[in-house]
Amino acid sequence: MFDLLIVLSRYVFVFYIILFLWQGVVYVAYEQGGYFGNPFRAISVQKRILVCYHLTAFLILGYNRETLMYQWQVVAFGFAGLVFLLVAMYVLNRFYKDGCPLIWMGVLFLLDTSLIMLQRLNASLAYRQLAFIVFGVFVVLCIPRILKLIPKFEIFEWAYIIVSYGLLICTLLFGVSHYGSTNWLKIGSITFQPSEIVKFLYIFYLASVFRKKVDWKEFLTTGFLSFGLIILLVFQKDLGSALIFFVTYLSLLYIATSNLVLMGVGLGSASIAAIASYHLFSHVQVRVSAWQNPWSDIEGGGYQIANSLFAITTFGFFGCGLTKGYPTVIPVVESDFIFAAIAEEFGVIFACGIIGIFVMLLYRGVRIALDCGRRYYSILALGITAILSFQTFLIIGGVIKLIPLTGVTLPFISYGGSSVLVSLIMIGLLQWVCIYCKKHGDGTQGKEKKTPSAKKTASTKEKVEVNEVSGGEAYE
Amino acid sequence: MNNMKKSIRRVFWILAICFFLLFGYMVHLVVVQRDGIITNSYNVRLNRDDATIQRGSIVDCDGMVIARSVLQADGTYVREYPRYRMSAHITGYNSMGKAGLELSENFTLLNLHNEILQRVQSVALGTELVGDSIQLTIDMDIQSLAGDLLGSANGAIVVMEPDTGKVLAMQAYPDYDPNTIAADWSSLREDENSPLVNRGTQGLYPPGSTFKLMTALYIMQNYDNWEDIQYTCTGEASFANKTIRCYGNTAHGDLDLNGALTVSCNCFFAEYATQLGQDDLLDTMLDMSMLDKIPFDVATSLNRIGLSGDSTESELVETSIGQGNTLVTPLYMAMFASAIANDGEMMTPYMVDRVIYSDGSYGSSASPDVFQKIMSDEEADLLTDMMVSVVSSGTGTAAQISGYTVAGKTGTAENATGNDHSWFIGFAPAEDPQVAVAVLIENSDKYGKATPIAKQMLEFALNQ
Repeated sequence: MFDLLIVLSRYVFVFYIILFLWQGVVYVAYEQGGYFGNPFRAISVQKRILVCYHLTAFLILGYNRETLMYQWQVVAFGFAGLVFLLVAMYVLNRFYKDGCPLIWMGVLFLLDTSLIMLQRLNASLAYRQLAFIVFGVFVVLCIPRILKLIPKFEIFEWAYIIVSYGLLICTLLFGVSHYGSTNWLKIGSITFQPSEIVKFLYIFYLASVFRKKVDWKEFLTTGFLSFGLIILLVFQKDLGSALIFFVTYLSLLYIATSNLVLMGVGLGSASIAAIASYHLFSHVQVRVSAWQNPWSDIEGGGYQIANSLFAITTFGFFGCGLTKGYPTVIPVVESDFIFAAIAEEFGVIFACGIIGIFVMLLYRGVRIALDCGRRYYSILALGITAILSFQTFLIIGGVIKLIPLTGVTLPFISYGGSSVLVSLIMIGLLQWVCIYCKKHGDGTQGKEKKTPSAKKTASTKEKVEVNEVSGGEAYE
Repeated sequence: MNNMKKSIRRVFWILAICFFLLFGYMVHLVVVQRDGIITNSYNVRLNRDDATIQRGSIVDCDGMVIARSVLQADGTYVREYPRYRMSAHITGYNSMGKAGLELSENFTLLNLHNEILQRVQSVALGTELVGDSIQLTIDMDIQSLAGDLLGSANGAIVVMEPDTGKVLAMQAYPDYDPNTIAADWSSLREDENSPLVNRGTQGLYPPGSTFKLMTALYIMQNYDNWEDIQYTCTGEASFANKTIRCYGNTAHGDLDLNGALTVSCNCFFAEYATQLGQDDLLDTMLDMSMLDKIPFDVATSLNRIGLSGDSTESELVETSIGQGNTLVTPLYMAMFASAIANDGEMMTPYMVDRVIYSDGSYGSSASPDVFQKIMSDEEADLLTDMMVSVVSSGTGTAAQISGYTVAGKTGTAENATGNDHSWFIGFAPAEDPQVAVAVLIENSDKYGKATPIAKQMLEFALNQ
């Protein structure tokens, strides 16, 4: 009987995520001038789907097949998770009134997926993850207050980069090793990944420098300092972060200058650096050969990827049903490889849906960057969006063997305090930029735009752009 | 600012394309690569033997059951193989790990057709959950004859349909009884005859004189006016560091290419191989897909080529007559004979014809697939003519079947044991080939030659 329910639940989960994404489409379509449905209703449907998703998953997870009883710990945790979801949906919208509700819903869906998967994989990690998430949301709620106190935080550009260097050098000197990378710091009983915090500071730094006209001087200083950071990360064997920093630098440089030649120079030097690091570092060679042919060395370097591919492909599009798979044979499945576990138990369609939610976040983030009148905030918004999206691409691509594996976390889903906290703060900041620009960027248009009920026409769009141009110049 | 917007849009599209690559690759993994990945023996999910599901049966082309699961009194299922050893290397086994079709079709056999309906019925009516069954292209009558003819001789017989690639029989000895695999496991593992190895697909043997078909093709492709070749065989020929003799030291006298193949003259092929050089021979061997991985339902070994491009002349001489370090599987030789029969098109071999669902309905039949076109129609016809004269007037007269024209090539492979292996590959009828066969008998001095066995196999299969 219970087996039958699990079999059916596979289809229900796929239904949830498709409906969830469709409501996102409905919302966006309205904003763009189409009409598939009421956008406010779309958001409230998404909220209901999220609650149903949570309930369905925990009803399956809590059932004990031997005793035919519900396990109270799981039920209690599920209830705590539900309370968190309901409270978060309420307070986030309240504290960020004009923020993008789609972003909040997408992030909450991913966070809930994290709680469900961790409860299934390793319950004690799930409890800690919930604590991190609650703390993260609390910090997010404080962001608007804190930023009100510091009106012009773009002037601290040197502070950002100095602290970044300080953190990374400390890690190099006093760092602790996990999974082959020396990228953890331990203070008292707390261990954290400084590279996560540095990511954040780095975006601030670049946005601060690039807010002005970018000349050779800026290009060379930022290029040189970024190169230094990347080298430090490579020495910590944290290749994923190094790559993320590099791509962030390139994309921000590109949008700040619109100069393809600079991009070419950057890409060229990166290729040389990549080839050099392949020849210099044995761990890079191991990763690349495990990617090229994991099957030739399944018991050694290819073990993780091979098992990940078994997990993703064995049960196909609909998966084997929650609790019915074997994700725990994959090393580090709670963190880097959690996507493989999702694909195994929820199926490949659902896993594609998770990627779909990341695409939704990417789109909304870029929308905020585009709608923003000020150069500084635009760069900040795009930096945050690019960093999260690229990190997602890196780890999912690595897990499915599209690209060589680089050990980074899947934002919002992987277990890890630093990762969840920093990802949440980034999203908070993105939302704050969204609100700030609507308030200050372009007077009346901003007010009109804050609700999707204000349909944009071609003429208002033009006006918006004129305003944005003047705003940018005024600032410079 | 407008430039910046354009750049932001571009960055968005680049990232979006990255995500679409992820979508595409995920689907590619599940749709295209899945079958190749999931049957890897390291996949722990293979051992998920859901005790509540009745594993599907395996039946031959006439519906004769060769593997099935039977419900015991205690509610568990036991796997039975009603034909014992006869189908061992085809079905493989399902305990002590998995092998054969039990491995490659594991997830099909455990798949529940109309799963929801079956589970609802199971809850409501208490019916069994039944996995899908598979129907093979194997004909157990031919398979049994192959087993009887092999007897206790180490070796392998592969029978194929040339124009489709259907495997009709694949027998190898030594074998084992899959019903008692768990009890016999340690002795099977330690047996130095390796009975767990399927010699039909995994055994690697020097091709012996059957390889002269390839050398003949290479002479046709590279020697101008090969029709005019006249060679006088004295029974012995010397090359750098190497003297070779024809079988039984026979001097064959004046020969053209056709005559040389008919009597299997070693001196002839060695002479022209050294004249033409090894590079082209290597090319011809590669053109024959010798080093291409054969996609098949059970584990296969990759052939080996004894030429490297800078091999010595004596290595070239050995290779040209099928001795030396070139090694092939019987399955490959059956595919090669089939390709000659099928106008040069080598078909992908297959054993699983279709799925039989638990409600008795059938899935669609597997469709034949060309593995590679390895020679032109004319070349295939010329080789067929030569193979016909091998059987009508040459070394293969023991394969003659009254009423049919048989095309074939015999072979004797020297090897490290000092006790030659005997080969026969061929097909019939030559005008309209229906069946192709490859027979290999190890150490044939003790157990008799391959050619008469191949004759009986062809005759029986033609009359089926």
